Amino acid sequence: MFTVVVSGLAIGMLYAAVALVYNVMFSTSKVLSVTTGHIAMLGGVFGAWFMTGLHLHWVIGLAGAIAVGALFGGLTELLAIRRVLNRSDEHLWLLSTLALATMVQQAVGLWWGTEPRPFPRLIDQTFSAGALDQKFWLPIALAALMAIGLEVFYRRTLFGKLFLAMSEDAFAARARGVSTDRIRVLSYVLSGALGGLAGFAAGQLTFAYFALGLTLTLNGFIALAVGGLGSNVGALIGGAALGLLNAFASHWFGGSYQQTIAVGLLMVVLLLKPEGLLGSKNVRPV
Amino acid sequence: MTANLRTGIALAVALLLVATLPRWAGDQYQLHLAALICVYWILIAGLNLVVGYTGQLSIGHVGLLAIGAYAFAILAGKMGWHPAAALIAAGALGGLCGLALGLPSLRLPGFYFAMATMAFALIVGEIVLAQVGLTGGGVGLPGPVFPAPFDTPHGFYYLVAALAVLTTWLSWNVARRLWGIGLMSIRDNPVAAQAVGVPLFRAKLTVFVFSGITAGIAGATFSSLQSYITPDTFVFELSLFFFVCIIIGGRGSIVGPFLGTVVLTALPELVAPLAKLGNFFYGLLLLVVVLAVPEGIGRMVEVVIERVRPRVVSNEPIEPDLPRLARAIGAPS
Repeated sequence: MFTVVVSGLAIGMLYAAVALVYNVMFSTSKVLSVTTGHIAMLGGVFGAWFMTGLHLHWVIGLAGAIAVGALFGGLTELLAIRRVLNRSDEHLWLLSTLALATMVQQAVGLWWGTEPRPFPRLIDQTFSAGALDQKFWLPIALAALMAIGLEVFYRRTLFGKLFLAMSEDAFAARARGVSTDRIRVLSYVLSGALGGLAGFAAGQLTFAYFALGLTLTLNGFIALAVGGLGSNVGALIGGAALGLLNAFASHWFGGSYQQTIAVGLLMVVLLLKPEGLLGSKNVRPV
Repeated sequence: MTANLRTGIALAVALLLVATLPRWAGDQYQLHLAALICVYWILIAGLNLVVGYTGQLSIGHVGLLAIGAYAFAILAGKMGWHPAAALIAAGALGGLCGLALGLPSLRLPGFYFAMATMAFALIVGEIVLAQVGLTGGGVGLPGPVFPAPFDTPHGFYYLVAALAVLTTWLSWNVARRLWGIGLMSIRDNPVAAQAVGVPLFRAKLTVFVFSGITAGIAGATFSSLQSYITPDTFVFELSLFFFVCIIIGGRGSIVGPFLGTVVLTALPELVAPLAKLGNFFYGLLLLVVVLAVPEGIGRMVEVVIERVRPRVVSNEPIEPDLPRLARAIGAPS
């Protein structure tokens, strides 16, 4: 039973990490990017490639995965967000990020192969550890660290405060002399780095798999919507709830209906409390 | 030549082309491709009303296609129904599932709706894999053949072409009347649409159910055309393909998405390197269109035509009828 809780919590914390990445992007641009899950997928795939393909030390692999994620995050903003936000049509960012996500997924599929490949062990540990295995506690620890780090970043640093200012009112921030375009690129680079880190840390749990991105985009979004858009604590709670629900459901009823259960959770929360558990009502009326 | 006459001639030519296509199609493969385009178009014609006119970005219609395909394969194949009855049942089931999906999800704003429909497509895939007894699980099911006049490639082509013409006609009827204008107003400004009395939710739900019915019928013919269906047939990328066809063709038009369907279906089959790139190519195309011509290529063509042959704007000055005006305000003339 303990194993079920830990494995559910681990996958849930991966979703929570993706939800945090959503939040960072959303704070400055009010855009929910479809590429969010793909950033984590890139972190996992490139981490595995750096370590098994190029035989680099895992520290360099980690740095590489973060760099690839950050690069892709910045690229997302430049290619798919910047031009589109200048137009008034609010649907367009959905289309452009969807297009970019498809391109990345297919490119990785063509280059890396369509089969999931194993992710190397980061720390020497036997496979008999059971629930204490590193593949479970790495994502859990990472998501907690990410949430704390983001909180410190938002409250203690100038750039964090600029992010908050932009999320409150981008026009007012601009009027006060904040270069909103530059802050937005910065937030996308930061979220890309965090996504790459999350994908790297959860690599042993999810394997390095090209089609992971879409699943993570969806489940991370469900964690976010359940917890409340814009709330980091809510993202953690939503992710944990989703992961635990999935783990217990597949423990009791078998694993065939994971997605159905996840969407069921989303629908129940949206019906009862449309702004999510910890969301503020004026963020986005649903 | 009046606009009505021109439309009539264009329609007649298009119908003649569709009817005579088997005569000048080179080989069986091209005929198969034409039938595939028709099947896709049956779905896209319905989806076009949802995506192109109403602006609801549904990226999960492959789920409805799968439901229609499996319903047809199970009813006509396993249970031995008459294929015509099974076809109607598949359409009805598609409509019902569209209703079940639309009721909760159409209340959600843009991104939430897109994610809900995407989740629906994944759920359908999951259920198809899990219900081995009904759907054959990962092994799949054979797609039944239609009876006598429609069992040859030629006959089947005429069947799907007739269905495609029918759905085109239905969606055109919706699009060109007040309904179409109402739908476009929902797309462009929901607040203003509601203010002038467009029933937002009911209109959205109605076209969504219609798109569900067409998706179910497309699924039924699709399973017969493919002759064997597995869960791998209905990958999420297929949904994206439908979506890209409409966006590239241009929103708020029927000819644009139709040309998009024809070109995007035929192009990867005829140009070999594109087939290898597959969905990467669709993604790239979508990105380029969204960034360069968000209104779609169809709109771009219209703009070019207007450049080449500017519309004659007749200058009709309006003279005020001064005596009548004076009478109206009661002034002494």
